Amino acid sequence: MKYYILKRILIIIPTFIGITFITYLMIRLAPGDFTSLRAGVEGELKAGSLSKEIFEQEKKLYGLDKPVIVGYAEWFYKTVKLDFGTSRKDGRKVIAHIADALPITLSLNIFSIIIVYIISIPLGIYSSIKKDTLQDRIISLILFLLYSLPSFWVALLLLKYLSGGDYLNLFPLGGLFSDWFDQLDIFQKAADLLWHLILPVTTLTYGGFAFLSRYTRATMLDVINQQYILTARAKGLSEQKVLFVHAFRNSLIPLLTLMATMLPGLLGGSVIVESIFSIPGMGMLAFESILSRDIPIIMAITSISAFLTLIGIFLADIMYAIADPRIRLEATQ
Amino acid sequence: MNFTRRYILHYICIVLIIVTSCTRFEAVRDPYTLYIHISAEPGHLNPITSNEAIASSINSYIYETLLDRDYDTLELKPQLATKWEISPDKLRYRFYLKKNIYWNDGKPFTADDIVYSFKVIKDPKVANAPLKVYYIDVKSVKKLSPYIVEFTYAKPYFLALEICGSIPIVPKHIFDDGTDFNTHKNNRFPIGTGPYKFVAWNTGKTIELVVNDRYWGQKPDIKRIVYKIIPEPNVALQMLKKGELDVMSLRPIQWVRQTNSNHFQESFYKFMYYQPYYNYIGWNARNPLFKDKNVRKALTMLINRQAILDSLLFGLGTVVTGPFYIHDKYYNHDIKPLPYDPVKAKEILRKAGWSDSNGDGILDKNGIPFKFTLTIASASKFAERLATILKEDFAKVGIYMDINRYEWAVFVNKVDKRDFDAVTLGWSLSWEGDPYQLWHSSQVKAGSNFCYFVNAEADEIIENARKEFDAQKRIKMYRRFHEIIHDEQPYTFLYCTPALVVVSKRFDNVLVHKRGLNYTEWKVTTQ
Repeated sequence: MKYYILKRILIIIPTFIGITFITYLMIRLAPGDFTSLRAGVEGELKAGSLSKEIFEQEKKLYGLDKPVIVGYAEWFYKTVKLDFGTSRKDGRKVIAHIADALPITLSLNIFSIIIVYIISIPLGIYSSIKKDTLQDRIISLILFLLYSLPSFWVALLLLKYLSGGDYLNLFPLGGLFSDWFDQLDIFQKAADLLWHLILPVTTLTYGGFAFLSRYTRATMLDVINQQYILTARAKGLSEQKVLFVHAFRNSLIPLLTLMATMLPGLLGGSVIVESIFSIPGMGMLAFESILSRDIPIIMAITSISAFLTLIGIFLADIMYAIADPRIRLEATQ
Repeated sequence: MNFTRRYILHYICIVLIIVTSCTRFEAVRDPYTLYIHISAEPGHLNPITSNEAIASSINSYIYETLLDRDYDTLELKPQLATKWEISPDKLRYRFYLKKNIYWNDGKPFTADDIVYSFKVIKDPKVANAPLKVYYIDVKSVKKLSPYIVEFTYAKPYFLALEICGSIPIVPKHIFDDGTDFNTHKNNRFPIGTGPYKFVAWNTGKTIELVVNDRYWGQKPDIKRIVYKIIPEPNVALQMLKKGELDVMSLRPIQWVRQTNSNHFQESFYKFMYYQPYYNYIGWNARNPLFKDKNVRKALTMLINRQAILDSLLFGLGTVVTGPFYIHDKYYNHDIKPLPYDPVKAKEILRKAGWSDSNGDGILDKNGIPFKFTLTIASASKFAERLATILKEDFAKVGIYMDINRYEWAVFVNKVDKRDFDAVTLGWSLSWEGDPYQLWHSSQVKAGSNFCYFVNAEADEIIENARKEFDAQKRIKMYRRFHEIIHDEQPYTFLYCTPALVVVSKRFDNVLVHKRGLNYTEWKVTTQ
C-alpha cells in the first residue's frame, strides 16, 4: 500500500509538467498576443494604432520573442518558487487576482454542491424505492426538463421577473453584497450575502439534480438487489432500517468518490452565471485572460486546477483502494 | 425514520435562512452621487500605459493635461497651461503652466512632471506601444523654468500642438520611486489634478471618485461618481430602471424597443449623438479580385447600405462615403454615396471582364472564379448578420462569398499579417484626423493601410497636408483626398453610428455637446 501511494505521488509530477507544458505551448502558438490586442476593441480599431517596430519592442518586454521552451522553463522555475508573476492587464500579482476571485467562486460552488446533494440524494432514493412507478417517471421528467433549460435563459428570466424594474422586486440584480454591506453587523452581512446568492445558486444548481439523483437511484438499485438486503428483510427489520442503515450506507461509497473528483471543479466558475450576475469569479477571470492572452493568469489557473485534478484523482484512487480490497490487493503486487 | 426527520429539519433550516435573508435592507441614497454603468473593468488607470476607452473616460475626470478640446467648438483651449507659443519654424512648442496647481496629495504640479512623463512615454521598458506611436516625432521636452516647458518636434506637423498639448501627465514624485512603471501600485490608485479624485477600487464591482475640494477650476455639483461594472447589458438596463444606475449607453435594440414606455421617459433623458467613428468593408487590393477599382465600385453598389442600416441597426446611423468623421470639417459632403444598383453593378463587372462563361452560376475571368472570403470578428453580432446578407446578395449576381469568423485576438492577427480577402471592421478616430497611418502608401507593410491602398496623388496630399498649418487649405486638400478615396473605393464605407445614452432625470443641465456629455456641469435636482 505504501509503495502504491508513493508510485501514485511520483506519477503526479511528470503528468503536471506535461499538462502545463502543453498549455503553455498552445497559448504561445495561438495567433494574437496581448500587445497587438491593445490596438482596439471588439470590431473596432483605433486609427493609426498599428506600428510594427514599436509593437515588436513591447513583445520583447514580456519575453514573447524567446523560444517556447525557454519561456516555459522560465515559467516553471518561477512557479516552483510559487511565484506566478504579474498580470499583463493591470500589473497586479496573479496571486492577488486569484485571491479575489477564488473565495467568490468557492462559496458559490460549495453552496450549489450542498444544495444539489441535499435535493438529489433524497430524490434518488425515493425514485429507487418507487422504481418505475408514476412518481419515479414524473421526477425523472421534471429533472430532465430542468437539465435541458439553458442557464443564461433561466438566469435572465429570473432577473427580469424577480429582481425589480418592471416586475416583482424580491432579489438584488447582481453582485454579492449590497452597497451598504460595510455598515451591517455580522448576521446582517451573512443574510445579505445569502440574499445575493439565491438567484445565482439557483441557476447553478437546477441543472445538476438530474445527474446526481439518477446516479443515486442507480447505485441504490444495485445495492437493494444484493442478497444481504434480502437477509436484512428476512430477519424482520423495518423497511426504513433496511433502506437507510443497510442500503443507503453502502450506496454512499461511490457518491463519496464522486465528491473527490469534484475537487478541481470547485475552482471553475461559470462564465455565463458570473457575467449575468456581475460576479467577478474564477470563470470570468479565466475567460477574459484567455481572450486577452494574459499568459501569467492563464498559466496560474491551469496549473492550479491541473494540480487539484491530479490530487483529486489521487484521493479517489486511495479511497477506492481503502474501500475495495481487490484494488488494494492488485496495488501491492 | 431518524433519517427523514433529520432531512426535514435541514429543509426547515434552509427555508428559514431564505426567508430571513429576504428581509430587505433599505439604505438612503445620497442624491449627490452619480452612478455610471461600465461594461468591463479597466486594467488600471494610468493614462500613459492604458489605452482602454473606459480608462480614458474615467481618467478624464482625474487627470488633466496642458490643453483640452472645447466641448462645443472642439478647438484647443488651455487646461493646465495658461498660454502657448509656437516657433516660426513650427518645430518648438512652448507652454506656460498655471501656477498653484496641486496634485491630489498636496504636492505642487510643475514642469518636472511633464518632463518625467515624456521620459516615461519614450522608455522602451514601458508597455505603452499604442501611445508611443504618437510621440515618435517628438524629439525632446525641456524644462525652461518650473513653469515653462518646451517640446521639440522633428519636423513640422499640423497636429503637433495637439500631440504636445495632450501629453498624459503623471506625478513624478509618485511614480519615480525606482519601482517598475508597468506594475506601479499607483496605476490602480491614480493621483491627478482634475475635478475629481480617486478614492476606491472594488475589483470587479466599482470604481469610486469624489470631488476634488482643492480643484483650481469650477467645482462640480455632483460630489461622488461611482462606476459600476455590469458585464451584461440587459441586467444593466434593468438596474437603470430600478434606479441603481444613472447613466448608461444603450444598444440599438434597447433604444428602439425597451426604453419607450411613458414611465421610462418620465424618469430618463435619452440622448443620441455622433462620435468620430465609422465602419466599413475593406477589400484587400493585393487580391487579384479586388485590384480593379471598378470591381470595388461594383461591390459597393451591390450592398444595399440604407436597407441594412434600417434592418440591422434600426436606422440609427448615417451612411458615410469617406475616411473622415462625418461631422469633421474635412468631410466632403458634396460626395453622395454610390447608389444600390445591382443591374449597373453587374454591367460594370461585365465591362471589367467578369462573366459566367462556363455556366456554373459563378462569375469568372480568365478561368478564375469570383470567390472570396469575408473575415469577421466572431463576437460582433453586427458583422455576423451583415456577412449573411452580403453572402446572399452577392450570390444573386454570381459572386461566391465565404464567411470566416475569428476570435478577436486571432482576427487582429490576421489583419496585422494582411491575411484576408475582405474584412469588416470599424475605425474609432480622433477629433482631428490625419489620414497618414491609414492611407499613405508607406503604411502598407507595417502600418494600418492593410488593404494596400496606393495612389500617388493621395500620397502627395497626405504628405503636404501634414506640413500645412492653414486649416482652410487643409480642408481643401482633404476634401480632394476624400474624392480620390471615393473614386478608388478601397473600402466600402458603411456607417457612422451614434452613441445612445440614457441619463436619469435626477439631474439638470444635462447638455449634449459636440464632444458628448460632461458630468462636471450637471446639477442635482433636489425635490
